[in-house]
Amino acid sequence: MSVKQQNTSIFKTLISVISDTLLVVKQEFKTMFKDRGVVILFVLAPLAYPILYCSLYLNETLTNVPIAAVDCSRSQESREFLRHLDATQNVQIVSNLSTLSEAKQAFDDKLVHGVIYIPADFSKKLNTGEQANLSIYCDISSFMYYRIINQASNNCMIDMNKQIQVKRLNAVGITGESAQIISNPIPFDGQILFNEGAGFASFLLPAILMLIIQQTLFLGIGIIAGTSRGENKFHVLVNSTVHRGRTIRVVIGKSICYLLMYGAWSFFILGVIPRAFNLPHIGLPLDIIKFMIPYLLAVVFFSMTVSVFLPHRETGMVVFLFFSLILLFLSGISWPQSNINWFWRTFAWIFPSTSGVQGYIKINTMGADLHRVSFEYVSLWIQTALYFATTCWAYRWQIKKSCKKQLLADELPELENNLL
Amino acid sequence: MKRMVSRPIYFISSVLTMAFCYVFFFTFFNEGQPNKMPIGIVNLNNSALSRQFVRNLETTQQAQIVMYPGSHKEAREEMQEGNIYAFVEIKHNFASDAISNRRPTITFYINDSYLIAGSLLLKDITYMSAATSIGMQRKVLRAKGMDESRIIGIIQPIALNTHLIGNAWANYGTYLLNVILPGILQLMVLLMTIFSIGVELKERTSREWMEAADNSMFAAVTGKLLPFTVIFTALGIICNMLLYKYMHYPMNSNIGWMYLATFMFVVASQAIGVLLIGITPVLRDAVTLGGVFGMLGVTFAGSTFPIEQMPRGVRIFSDFFPIHHYFNIYVNQALNGVSIFNSLISFLFLLSFIILPFFVYNRLKKAAINQNFPIK
Repeated sequence: MSVKQQNTSIFKTLISVISDTLLVVKQEFKTMFKDRGVVILFVLAPLAYPILYCSLYLNETLTNVPIAAVDCSRSQESREFLRHLDATQNVQIVSNLSTLSEAKQAFDDKLVHGVIYIPADFSKKLNTGEQANLSIYCDISSFMYYRIINQASNNCMIDMNKQIQVKRLNAVGITGESAQIISNPIPFDGQILFNEGAGFASFLLPAILMLIIQQTLFLGIGIIAGTSRGENKFHVLVNSTVHRGRTIRVVIGKSICYLLMYGAWSFFILGVIPRAFNLPHIGLPLDIIKFMIPYLLAVVFFSMTVSVFLPHRETGMVVFLFFSLILLFLSGISWPQSNINWFWRTFAWIFPSTSGVQGYIKINTMGADLHRVSFEYVSLWIQTALYFATTCWAYRWQIKKSCKKQLLADELPELENNLL
Repeated sequence: MKRMVSRPIYFISSVLTMAFCYVFFFTFFNEGQPNKMPIGIVNLNNSALSRQFVRNLETTQQAQIVMYPGSHKEAREEMQEGNIYAFVEIKHNFASDAISNRRPTITFYINDSYLIAGSLLLKDITYMSAATSIGMQRKVLRAKGMDESRIIGIIQPIALNTHLIGNAWANYGTYLLNVILPGILQLMVLLMTIFSIGVELKERTSREWMEAADNSMFAAVTGKLLPFTVIFTALGIICNMLLYKYMHYPMNSNIGWMYLATFMFVVASQAIGVLLIGITPVLRDAVTLGGVFGMLGVTFAGSTFPIEQMPRGVRIFSDFFPIHHYFNIYVNQALNGVSIFNSLISFLFLLSFIILPFFVYNRLKKAAINQNFPIK
């Protein structure tokens, strides 16, 4: 064979590979848009879910949480304290009651979420130089109530303490600058980084956005696979007429289709949504794009591998939807990753979302460079390689099964003839 | 009814899913509160005073010092990598400034992208910094010869006692599992209800199904769903037992109310399921709808973020979610232990969900007999 001939044959193979792959891409796009279930998951869900969740959590923190005041002291000092508390943005004193049992009633009826109790000796103790006590009672049905009420009362207490301290020091003859120094010899300054307002949305939604990408893609691919299994006559995943040969062409063809789709969605979900809803977005867009490439690849191949084992189109939805919640916890965003035991931490690593969520939050919310998230980045590439291999293996197995059945079906009439 | 045992998906979904969730969540949150979270100290001073402060920090419940970065930049990068959730910076001349009354500042930085870790660490580190300052004050006042009984009145004129109603230790598991587990239960009930009816329509076996029930839609649906009611109520009650008996989470009234609430919650969720499959008698669309509804339920329960603080427009939707009423009953009965009359309205809401299937009664019956909807 001459060199020229060899070249043309390679060229021909290449052309056939590309045209095959493109054929798969085209067919996959067709099946996607013909199937209403897939359209819902691939188009409607990625569009609606982020907007829905962002509007639900639009208010980042609680404002004017209703509380009741039980002021048994009825003094100038106690009234001043309550005025300060009421003036905070966080809480609002909606009722002034005279006994704790009245307050309990108001709490039981859910009129208030907290109670502040000022004992009768409050003013007397303040005036005689003793330590006075205040009590707050918080609703803990949601952590947010507790945090807000506690924080507001604490701040008011600290402010009032400073004034009284200086007064008392003055009374014992320590005045001016030295009173200031003694009342606060080592000031402290707490800085909250990356989510300055301690907002709930800024904390939770970046993780949810990444999960939406993985879960809609996963369930969508599951539906496509389940359908083609349910519908082609041999109940195997890949129809023998589809692939025309090699496994890898099918796998790559299909994944290109999903990637094109979700490349666009990633731009919307991670590029547009955070800006529209004022979520954190201090990461470099280029770093996010570089990070998303292995994330999408890993998710696609992971989903394709699992989808081989789904017998019906609805199975994935019924069996795996609840898993979204579990994945949220496994990602280590609410319960800190350092406190997850080794077993669940290893288990979590199986899913691309764990590294995906962590990496995205580090880049997008904390402004880390790509090389600061190298653990997550490398993990995702390893997963991509691993799941690509398992997908090819699973698809080859399915294609072989399909071919065998095809062959058997072709031979069957002949066999029957021979037997007769 | 026979179909229930014929398809493994029923069994897998109902029992294994819930069992997996119980195992997962109970082993995941076994600590109650995240303890000993990693923090860093940038100690540029290294004096006896600063080391004392560091030792004090070590003793707090939530923080554990895992590294001593050499500079602010280094610490910030460690934070970006997620190795520490907070760090404290102690300046060069900390000790000498403190002694010579120049008021050195302790600065600490908290990463609130991890809100839970951040909030808990903020509380502990603030407390310790204040304690250090108070210790210093006490020393100075003693040196001035002040009477010990008067010192406390000066360093902290007002003390604040915080009481948490119901969940005295602020256990994170208590707070979360009482929402998440019913949330998953609601999701599974919805999906299984839709699936078990939808599959009859999809596989065109609905006529036989109706015949078995003497062409009464009511009997057909009841017969189909009753086994699920039993299974899911049992799973729900097992969940209640695990939460309140095994884990000893707060239960301040009769546990029977929670059992009743669980039963009504399961039936209410089934009613929603029938409504959804009635609206679109196409299995896959209804399953998708059920999925969306079920996932939103966790948000609309009102625990993670209180409903009343959500935008006005979405607030009314919470009433359409059985889990919201279940959660109210839980807060009233289990957590706060108030009179059962306060929960009456929530029980009534749960009861009223049973009306919903009657809205789609005819539509579903027609679909079952005429089989006039696409199968996919």
